[in-house]
Amino acid sequence: MRTKTAGFVVIFAFLLLILSFFKLILIEGKKYKELSAKNSIRLLSQPGGRGRILDRTGNVIVDNTMSYDVMVLPQDKSRLDKTLGAIAQILNVDSRELRLKFKSGFLSQNMPVAVSRNIDIKKAILLEELKFDFPGILIQPHPLRHYPYGRLASHVIGYLGEIDRWRLTKLEDYGYKTKDIMGYGGVEEKYDYYLRQEDGGLSVEVDSRGNLKRVLGLRPAQSGKDIQLTLDLRIQKIVENALAGWKGAIVLMDPRSGEIIAMASLPNFNPSVFVLRYNSLVRGLFNNPGGPLLNRAIGGSYPAGSLFKVIVASAALETGKIGVNTTFYCPGNMRLGNAVFACWGMHDSQNLIGAMAYSCNVFFYRTGLLTGPQGLHEYAARFGLSKPASVDLPYEVGGLVPHPLWKKIHRFRNWFDGDTLNLSIGQGDVLVTPLQMARVMAVFANRGKLVTPYIVKSIDNKDISGYHARIADLALKRSTIEYIRQGLRAVVNDEAGTGNVLSQLTVPVAGKTGTAQAAKGQPHAWFAGFFPYKDPKFAICVLLEHGGPGKEACIVAKEIIENMVREGLL
Amino acid sequence: MRSPFLRISAIAVFICILGILSIYSNTYQQEGRVWQAIYKRQMVWVLLGAVFSFVVYNFNYRRLIDLTYFLYGITLFLLGLVHLFGDVSMGAQRWLKVGGFNFQPSELAKLTVVILLAKYFSNKSADDVSLRAERLDIFRGLVLPFIFAGIPMGLIIQQPDLGSGMLILFIFFVMLYLSNVKLRYIIIFLSAILVAMPLLWNFLRDYQKDRLLVFLNPNIDPLGAGYTIIQSKISIGSSGFWGKGWLSGPQNQLHFLPESHTDFIAATFIEEHGLLGAILLVLLYYLLIRQGIKIAARTSDDFGKLLAYGISMMLCAQVFINMAMNMGLAPVVGIPLPLMSYGGSSVLITFIALGILANIDRTRAVF
Repeated sequence: MRTKTAGFVVIFAFLLLILSFFKLILIEGKKYKELSAKNSIRLLSQPGGRGRILDRTGNVIVDNTMSYDVMVLPQDKSRLDKTLGAIAQILNVDSRELRLKFKSGFLSQNMPVAVSRNIDIKKAILLEELKFDFPGILIQPHPLRHYPYGRLASHVIGYLGEIDRWRLTKLEDYGYKTKDIMGYGGVEEKYDYYLRQEDGGLSVEVDSRGNLKRVLGLRPAQSGKDIQLTLDLRIQKIVENALAGWKGAIVLMDPRSGEIIAMASLPNFNPSVFVLRYNSLVRGLFNNPGGPLLNRAIGGSYPAGSLFKVIVASAALETGKIGVNTTFYCPGNMRLGNAVFACWGMHDSQNLIGAMAYSCNVFFYRTGLLTGPQGLHEYAARFGLSKPASVDLPYEVGGLVPHPLWKKIHRFRNWFDGDTLNLSIGQGDVLVTPLQMARVMAVFANRGKLVTPYIVKSIDNKDISGYHARIADLALKRSTIEYIRQGLRAVVNDEAGTGNVLSQLTVPVAGKTGTAQAAKGQPHAWFAGFFPYKDPKFAICVLLEHGGPGKEACIVAKEIIENMVREGLL
Repeated sequence: MRSPFLRISAIAVFICILGILSIYSNTYQQEGRVWQAIYKRQMVWVLLGAVFSFVVYNFNYRRLIDLTYFLYGITLFLLGLVHLFGDVSMGAQRWLKVGGFNFQPSELAKLTVVILLAKYFSNKSADDVSLRAERLDIFRGLVLPFIFAGIPMGLIIQQPDLGSGMLILFIFFVMLYLSNVKLRYIIIFLSAILVAMPLLWNFLRDYQKDRLLVFLNPNIDPLGAGYTIIQSKISIGSSGFWGKGWLSGPQNQLHFLPESHTDFIAATFIEEHGLLGAILLVLLYYLLIRQGIKIAARTSDDFGKLLAYGISMMLCAQVFINMAMNMGLAPVVGIPLPLMSYGGSSVLITFIALGILANIDRTRAVF
């Protein structure tokens, strides 16, 4: 009878149901209990604040302000849509956009998802009121990087961004995670490990009504450590104002310790566009051919031009190739084989001091030939050229001082005397950074010691300058130093000296100008020196990219020193 | 309890009470008066259903034979109306709004098809008192009844309500089998369905395809279509032996489980009452359906017998599919759990069907 099967089918079906319930509840129950527990656990993150960056006197350069994120708890679809719709109305955005953000930001059922960031406080309050109708909304306050001075010292500071894959693979062991915010460029990157906050979190168990039942775990947020720079904000402002309108870099350094007092590079950028995620502006910064993200003071290398003559003079004096009274005659040019190497004027007979003051090429051609390329290179290296100055900022370049072997390896050519002549006046393949030249000047300012520049004075009120200050005695002869110092002073002092504009200052300044031929366009204008002459407190290097003759750089330096004097910062 | 009507009513009302408790449990936290009142509405439906059931119980089921085509006509008319004016809800057009109430004609259609097929197959042949169905040719034994059942089925699938449509197909198969139609027609019918299935795939709506694919692997879309299955399994699996207690199942209370008061009410109930609750629930439904099967077995009138089997199997299929769906063993199709799920049409029609069942037994005693 077929009807009998009906009864069996019913019994069979119900047995199957019972067995499935047994299996699901008793055998697999443990797994589902865990999953259910996850559903009743909420993770609430508690962001900490990134460490502040202060200047040497304690003025805040970078700090944090409170901003508000809108988070939404995952919930079933119709409620979620209603919640997002209500948020969209208040924020004045399309609710579809919010839904997309929710989908892309979703991590797990028990973690709230940020659908809108950095909303202003009025909207945050409105949304907070909405919570009564839509309990899935969370307003999460979190500290946001704030730059009270805008673009000031932007290259020294750097900017913030989400960690990229390359950095993540290197830094994973140090507790970095995907989507972490980290510093890029400047102190923000170099000292990210200290500056970065440790986000805390709260895992709470909620009861069936979504009310807090108990706190399961709490890790308090830890703010990052404050970092104090050697930068003097007042001088930094003066320097950036003086550089305004130019493209280039300025470094101001304490020659006794290597502390960087001011470091400017133009064009610069506003770091807050990264924080607020103005994507089009950020893309513009990366694609800008002017390279606004490049810190020219340490990351830009330029032909040294006449500044290199300081190195040549030191090498020749130290090796005894020339003496205090050695003179060369300058007829306006110098013949070498068939080639004519020009000087920019006719200087007759002169000694080293005169040659430095007037920046005579012929004198240094002859001195260079006497010293030889290997000797020039060795002394350049001793003065810290051709390798990074190891300042505590990322992306510093080393520049280059060529020598015969280098030419053989990289250019497949032999070294000729013509190359020596080019090297002697800092042209050809010579590349230096403004920071390196400031450091060279510091040697003559502090009478023979090569300092290591640094920019971070203390971390979390712990002075770390002792850790930085590696001061190496170059063991130069006392006479060499004094003689070159006199030469540098003559550049400013002598009525026909190339840096004579600086003589009008109340502070005695010494230094060397440079007009470095660029591949195309105007030459780069250099001025590197120190002041006050007797007991120098500052070494300075000004570079104007395609700025014209070295005098332009002197004018910028003059403006800086003038303003420093006026504000009593000397 | 001697009277089967009383027994059936007692079991049915007990199930309804469990249902109302569960509906209360997972809506009492929702904001808004509509949600707060939802369990009260269900109470009204249950009372109304009990009244209907009593009315039908006192209405001789054999008079349904004359009313069959009228009922069929009304059903088709209502299904047509849904097509034209139906209320769109959750992507499907299934409801008719009648004076503030939503009516779902597909629920009525299930019962109508049972009645119609019971009448069709129980016709006696002229020369003989045995069932005509045994000797029907393929057209009258298979094609014609399939057309009868197929029209409402097609309309329902079009709504789109794949679950109810498939349920009617299943009822058709059961009636075909129980009415002693030649076995080879049944085999032909089954093989025709097998052949047609891949072709029909193309007619399915995207969300229906999604649901079927998700049934095969819920993890392909854990936040979309697979979400419900996963959450429902968590609800049931985490309940333990005793359950988490009434009003304190976190899964439905925190709204992780969607549709927790309609299609997934079993998961809600079991989360709060555990394996014990599950066994109780299955047992109650089994007892209810066993009453139906027993009534069918002891009825000698062919129409009544077929009708009783049809109603019992319809209930059985709904309970089985719904619970299997709750455990992730069947695709998520909109089949409510009779008497428990929130919804007036389903409750009313189930009560009417139970009333007919009881009446079959009562009338049998008169013979």
